[in-house]
Amino acid sequence: MIFYGLSSAYSVFLWRRGFRKDDRANYFLLLAAFVLHTVAMFERGFSINQCPVNNLYEATTFIAWTIVAAYLVIGLLPRLRFLGAFASHILFAMGVFALMPALDPPHAVQPDFSHGLTSLHAALILLAYGGFGLSAVAALMYLTQEHDLKFHKLRAIFSLLPPIQRLERVMNSLLVSGVALLTLGLAISPALLKEKYGVYFKNDPLLDYAIFIWLFYFGLLIAHRWFGQGGRRFAWSTVGGFTFILLTFWGFILLSQIHQHP
Amino acid sequence: MSVVAIGLSHHTSPVELREQFAFADVKIPDALKSLHESGIASEAVILSTCNRVEIYAATQLEPAQAFVELKQFFRTAHAFENPLGEEIYTFAEPQSLQHLFKVACGLDSMVLGETEILGQLKDAYALAHQHKHTGARLNKIFQRAFHVAKYIRTHTNIQRGSVSVASVAVELAEKIFSSLNERKVLVIGAGEMSEKTARALLSRGARSIIVANRSPERAQVLAREFGGRTVQFDDWAAEFEKIDIAISSTSAPHHILDRAKLELLMKLRKNRPLLLIDIAVPRDIDPAVNFLENVYLYNIDDLQSIADNYLKQRREEIVRCEKIIREKVEALLEAKRIQPQMDTVCMADSDANKIA
Repeated sequence: MIFYGLSSAYSVFLWRRGFRKDDRANYFLLLAAFVLHTVAMFERGFSINQCPVNNLYEATTFIAWTIVAAYLVIGLLPRLRFLGAFASHILFAMGVFALMPALDPPHAVQPDFSHGLTSLHAALILLAYGGFGLSAVAALMYLTQEHDLKFHKLRAIFSLLPPIQRLERVMNSLLVSGVALLTLGLAISPALLKEKYGVYFKNDPLLDYAIFIWLFYFGLLIAHRWFGQGGRRFAWSTVGGFTFILLTFWGFILLSQIHQHP
Repeated sequence: MSVVAIGLSHHTSPVELREQFAFADVKIPDALKSLHESGIASEAVILSTCNRVEIYAATQLEPAQAFVELKQFFRTAHAFENPLGEEIYTFAEPQSLQHLFKVACGLDSMVLGETEILGQLKDAYALAHQHKHTGARLNKIFQRAFHVAKYIRTHTNIQRGSVSVASVAVELAEKIFSSLNERKVLVIGAGEMSEKTARALLSRGARSIIVANRSPERAQVLAREFGGRTVQFDDWAAEFEKIDIAISSTSAPHHILDRAKLELLMKLRKNRPLLLIDIAVPRDIDPAVNFLENVYLYNIDDLQSIADNYLKQRREEIVRCEKIIREKVEALLEAKRIQPQMDTVCMADSDANKIA
């Protein structure tokens, strides 16, 4: 959390400087945060003998981990390294949110999930949300650059931010990955429901929520691909979609019966 | 032996004078030979470009004497009889080296920080080297000048950004499109500025140029030159479905493209980004089109303002560059001072060993 916080503060400095110089400091701050984050997740995973995606705290930190991991790969390209300056604020906010004590009940209560398929199901869906998160970060970068170009701000040309067309491509690729992962995660659900409740479908707020999210992003991709809904509208929809997830995901987890611990 | 520099440049003399002193490439080897045979210079390099004519010489003469001889050489070589005053500048060490380094870095150029001069300087040095008119002294100094130019290019902002309207337009296009390869450019009105801009875009990979001009002959000349094609002036709007960049510079007294017209055209384009460069005065494109999604409109003032800002940034870097150059020249001269002492010590050691 300290490294995410440092990265977030440093990002403000980068923003004020107008992203004029290739700066690796932020990348390394997020790399350090990622290493510590990974160690913490491994320790928790080993302590409960399964993938740490069993409660709201773990789900939130897993999504954040996915975002930073994907950023570290994409950030190897110098022109996309500044994504970190946009991602760090979201990561820091997610970290602060995850630290709220009520989100992480004591581990004396053994989580409900009992085999690998369940962990895979949860991990795929949270990875998908991570993909949507990073896509929203790319969209924020797009909106910044697009606004600067549109209003002839000198920062648009002096900064080292990537061209907006490339950012749109990055947004699209991340959304495609997210939808694919969400599809796989949801495809496992019937098997899990059959095993536990003897049915292939059960009406549950979190399941309905995930289907709604899938429909939203799938629709967005269709509109982008076939109906020319690109540019600013696409970027705003991507940011809006992930903001919705950030604001509502925790509520639907709490409402869900089939995802509660015994 | 010291290194002196003498010459005239765009700072001190008009083009009418510079062209009288220019050396054609084929005549430079003879001029160098003449310098050497007359005893003025042991080593020499002649740099002759459209903006400067300079001689860098390593000479045994005292600098004051060398300058008199070199000025006379200049006059004789070009049969110039009129008196010369401050048009010709002279530098003795260390200013001669500082001047050479500044020239190599583009600090003395008409377009501050430009890189073309470095290539010209390398060519001038290669020519002198090829004809064996350079030796240990000038070889070391010129190699160091090239090294310093590279250092300054990578460690300062002196060459950052575009300072011409055409290259700013290219830079803008690179901020919008992932790559300029395969981009289609429409030129409406084949003026000089639009020609320069189109040329700059082509040099960065733009695929095809479509030219629309009131005079079809001029359009054809330009299209042929760019390997593009022409369209009737009244039909340019039909091309908007396919193009990515439009450069407009007609002499029309009113807007030839307004928001309502472009709104319809953008639907055909499925909202792909469109960069509009309006370099006409009065303007060809209604500024209101910039409010349309995926449309980016820049007029001549916008482009000039960006170029001016880059130039301002470059000027702010001059002090930093000059400090680096001073340090590098001092280090070079210090090494020159130490080297003879080292040679003396080595010889003394060698003699001592022989005696032992």
